[in-house]
Amino acid sequence: MSSLQEALRDGGFTVTGEIGPPKGVDLEECLKDADRLRGKVVAINVTDLQSAVMRVGSMAVCAKLVDRGLEPVYQLTCRDRNRLALQSDLLSAWVLGIRNVLCLTGDHPVLGDDSDAKPVYDLDSVQLLKAASSLNLGQDMTGHDLDGKPDLFLGAVVTPTADPLEPQLIKMEKKVEAGAKFFQTQAVYEPDKFEGFINQAQRFKVPILVGIVVLKSAAMAKFMNENVAGISVPDSIITEMQETAKEDRKKKAVEIAARTIRQVRPLCQGVHIMPLGWDELVPEIVEQAGLS
Amino acid sequence: MHATIQKPLDEIAGYFKPGEKVFVVGCDNCAAKCHSGGIPETEAMADRLKARGVNVVGWCVPQPPGVSLCKLANTKKVLQEQYGDQVNDADSFLVLACGQGFHTVLDATDGGMVHPGCDTIFGGETVSDDLINEYCSLCGECVVEYTGGLCPVTLCAKSLLNGPCGGAKNGKCEVDRNRDCGWQLIYDRLRALQRLDQMREYMPPKAHSKWSRPRSLHLGTGEATFSSLAGEHTVVNHD
Repeated sequence: MSSLQEALRDGGFTVTGEIGPPKGVDLEECLKDADRLRGKVVAINVTDLQSAVMRVGSMAVCAKLVDRGLEPVYQLTCRDRNRLALQSDLLSAWVLGIRNVLCLTGDHPVLGDDSDAKPVYDLDSVQLLKAASSLNLGQDMTGHDLDGKPDLFLGAVVTPTADPLEPQLIKMEKKVEAGAKFFQTQAVYEPDKFEGFINQAQRFKVPILVGIVVLKSAAMAKFMNENVAGISVPDSIITEMQETAKEDRKKKAVEIAARTIRQVRPLCQGVHIMPLGWDELVPEIVEQAGLS
Repeated sequence: MHATIQKPLDEIAGYFKPGEKVFVVGCDNCAAKCHSGGIPETEAMADRLKARGVNVVGWCVPQPPGVSLCKLANTKKVLQEQYGDQVNDADSFLVLACGQGFHTVLDATDGGMVHPGCDTIFGGETVSDDLINEYCSLCGECVVEYTGGLCPVTLCAKSLLNGPCGGAKNGKCEVDRNRDCGWQLIYDRLRALQRLDQMREYMPPKAHSKWSRPRSLHLGTGEATFSSLAGEHTVVNHD
């Protein structure tokens, strides 16, 4: 059983972090970011060609984390690989010591830096979860027996701020039926909206880790609203950041993150912190949020 | 209908060797509706190429009115019987029509050199004289019974069968904020039809063997057989 699975089973408020692999083979900064999270988080997500930008692979970086005694969550999107490659990568991940997988649809190639890349999406995230569940039971998608089966801990994503919310809930239920055992949400900034979501989602009886994206500036927030799929920073937070002096931005970023975590803590089973490069702030956020 | 758009004139003009005798062929159905290969456009193309020094020996848009170029028997007949001299004189053909019409000319002229004057861009609904929209991707495995009549393969940028993804904002797709999220449209339609339960059903992955190209349809008496890499599939359509 992975540490993440154990932590969620044991019921304490679970904290996960995230790193983004670079475009290139120099992993020094990326692994330093991971090292900073050691002891502060139970597991570290490694993104899969985030924002559809070609980068070194999540699997390779996850394997490096395993080597260093850190626990990764292998993010696997449906954007770039057909069903054969996806199943293969799940088996390969297991072989490399990776135990947690987050199954995602994936940002569309037009959002990236090579919009002519062919979008694959041979499977969607629900079908991917089903395929992974099948592998865990010792068969591939078409019912062929495996020589040795993995036991991957499968997770999925949900967007609690979607409007309308019902389609997300319908899909969330399908993901649970397909084998999702934990959820990490897209970024949340408004606790009362999140409460509305939790009231509807708790019937699925799966652990939910609320997503927190660390905001560097008002400009970054606006940029993300325009360009990053699934993120919606409300005007009130943008204004709060605009009114913050430049030298206080890191402090404000920590304050907003920690405050949001404290407010939503009673509603969910953990938090997934996405520092987007400001990994050095995660220890402070964890502490200010009362989680250490 | 097959939507087509002319290739850039420079590209087309660049096809021809000096002195190459070219016969231009348009289509009075889809290409006419798309203004890429109807009578006015085909005549204009012949004139424009002549003005650029291309040796255009003639042009035609096979009739009767509204007939598609992709009907091999008619195209062959028109080219041989009504334009026989020019066709025999020509070194090559330029086709202003979709890829199916293009290949028909290739077949009708016994495999001589045929140049494509258009890009075939999608299969569409003629919403009005000015607008053709794509609603079907010709995937060979129609699921719109379960999605309120709206095709997720076509309307969802990711062609998700179990949608939506998490990228939509205000009902608009992450790839283009002016574009409706396909699954938002499906959700709205299913609610209106009181069939939202269908969205809760798991949709299995697509059978891509049915997309494998080229495909064919053989017609027999009271039956039709579709051939693809998924095998031969016969349906009896008449008792």
